[in-house]
Amino acid sequence: MSPIRLAFIHARIALLDLLRSPSYVVPTVVFPAMFFVLFDVPFARSHAGVANFATLAFIAWAIVGVAVYQFGVGIAQERGRPWERYQRTLPVSTGVRFAARILCAMAFGLLAATCVALVARALTPIDLSGVQWLQVLAYAIAAGVPFVLFGITIGYWFPARASVPVATAFNLLLAYAGGLWMPPSDLPAIVARISPFLPTRQFGEVLWSVTGNAVPAGAIVGLVLYALGFAALASIGYRRDEQTRYA
Amino acid sequence: MILDFENVSKSYGSVRALDGISFAVDRGEIVAVLGPNGAGKTTALEIATGLRRADAGTARLFGGSPRDVAMRLRLGVTPQESGFPDNLRVDEIVAFAGAHYPHAIETGDLLEDFGLTALRHRRTATLSGGQSRRLAVALAFAGDPELAVLDEPTTGLDVESRRRLWDAVRSAAQRRSVLFTTHYLEEAEANASRIVVIDRGRKLFDGDARRMRTRFGMRRLSYVGEPLASAADDAGVTVARANGRTVVASSDTDAYVRALVNGGTPFTDLEIAPASLEEAFLSLTEVSK
Repeated sequence: MSPIRLAFIHARIALLDLLRSPSYVVPTVVFPAMFFVLFDVPFARSHAGVANFATLAFIAWAIVGVAVYQFGVGIAQERGRPWERYQRTLPVSTGVRFAARILCAMAFGLLAATCVALVARALTPIDLSGVQWLQVLAYAIAAGVPFVLFGITIGYWFPARASVPVATAFNLLLAYAGGLWMPPSDLPAIVARISPFLPTRQFGEVLWSVTGNAVPAGAIVGLVLYALGFAALASIGYRRDEQTRYA
Repeated sequence: MILDFENVSKSYGSVRALDGISFAVDRGEIVAVLGPNGAGKTTALEIATGLRRADAGTARLFGGSPRDVAMRLRLGVTPQESGFPDNLRVDEIVAFAGAHYPHAIETGDLLEDFGLTALRHRRTATLSGGQSRRLAVALAFAGDPELAVLDEPTTGLDVESRRRLWDAVRSAAQRRSVLFTTHYLEEAEANASRIVVIDRGRKLFDGDARRMRTRFGMRRLSYVGEPLASAADDAGVTVARANGRTVVASSDTDAYVRALVNGGTPFTDLEIAPASLEEAFLSLTEVSK
C-alpha cells in the first residue's frame, strides 16, 4: 500500500469521526465565524480596511483553534486508548499517521477559515484580491506551524481530561490578548504591552501584512522562536510517552 | 516459522514481566497462551505484535522484527478492548483495517463471517459488548493475515456469544495461524492445537491439552467426608469443597486414598476420574509457587 494513499485513508477516517462530533466541530469551525459576526461585523460593515483586518484576524484564530484542538486534545485523548494501540499494530508507519493528522488538520483549518471568509464576503465590504487570498493561504500554513507544535505539546504534557480546559483556555486567552478579537490598539494598556510577544499577535501581524503593511520581521522571529521552543517540548513529551507505553 | 520467541525477557522497572521465555507458532497452528493475571501474557503479545521491544532475547515475526511494518503486513491483531472511535460505522472500521493490506478480505464477506452484516451501518458506540467483541475479532482477519493474534477475544461474553464467536474464528482460521490468550480453559481445550502455560514470566508447559493432562497425570478424586488436613500442604494437590463433597485434584490420587484409609477417616461415595484441564492448570501454577 502506497504511503501517500495510506495517509489519505487515515486522514479520511479521522475527518469522518471528527465531522460527526459536535463537540469538536462547534468550537473549531462554528465559533470563529460566529464570534466574527458578533464581535467584529458591527464595526467592519462600513469600512473595507477594518473588514480586511478583522477577517484576517479571525482566520488566524480559526487556524489556532484547529491546531490546539486537533493536536492538543486529539493526541491527549487518543494516546492511551486501545484504538491507538491497535493502530500501532497495523502495517503503517508513525510518519504516515502523522502526515494524516496534518492533512486532517489542514482540511479542518481550511473549512474553519473558509467559513469566516464566506461570512465576511456576505456581511462586510472586504476587498482582498485572488492573489492576496493565495498569500493568506500560504502564510497561514507557514505561521500555523508553531501552533501545531504547541498543540502537540499540550497533547503529550496533559492528560486527556485536562487537555480540553487547557486547550480552550489558551485558545481564548491568546486570541483575546493577541488582538485577534479586537484591534490591538483597543486592548487594555497592560495587555497591549505583552501582546506583541504573543504568538497569536505575531500570527495576526503576518496575515495583516497581506493588505500592504510592512512584513513584520519581529513577528517572524517570534514565531520561529515559538516553533523551536514547542518543538523541543513536544519531542520531550512524545519520547516520554513512547518510553512508558511502547518501549 | 510464523512466530518465534527465543529467551525473551522484559522488565518494567523492578518487575520482571517475562523471564527468558521461548515458544513458537508454526504454520496452521492455533496456540493458546494461558496464565493467571499478571503472568506476562499481554507483554508477550505486545512484543509479538511490535508494540513493545524485548529487553533481552529475540522475538521474530516471519523471521523479521515485529517492529518492521513489512512483517506486520502478514499479521492481524484484535484491539485489546473494544474502544473504537465512537462516530464511525462498523463497515467503515472494517474497510479501514482492510485498506492496510494487499489482499484484504472483502468487507461484506468479513461482516457476514462474523455475523455483523445487519449491524454494518451502526455506529460503534451503539454496539453491545458481544457485538463489539465480534467486530474487534473480525478486524484481526480483515487483512487475510497469515497470523492472527487475539488478546482475550471472549472476555466478558456470555456462553452463547462465546460459542458463536469461536465458530466464526474457527472458520476464519483455516489455512492460518492463530495465537490467542484466554482466561477460559475450556476455550483453550476446545480450540487450540497447542497450549502454552505461563506464570510470572516463565513458561510452565507447552503441548496439547491431552498431553498437558497426562504429563501431569492429573486425576480428580471426590467423596463425601472431611478433607485430609495433611494433603492441603502437598505440592501439586488442590483440595476443595463442593456440594458437601471433598474434591481433590492430584497427580497421585492413590496416595491420597491410602492416607484416607490408613488414617481411618470416614468417607462414602468415592469417585476417581481424569481431571479437567482447569484442575491440571491450577496445579501447574501452584507447583511453580
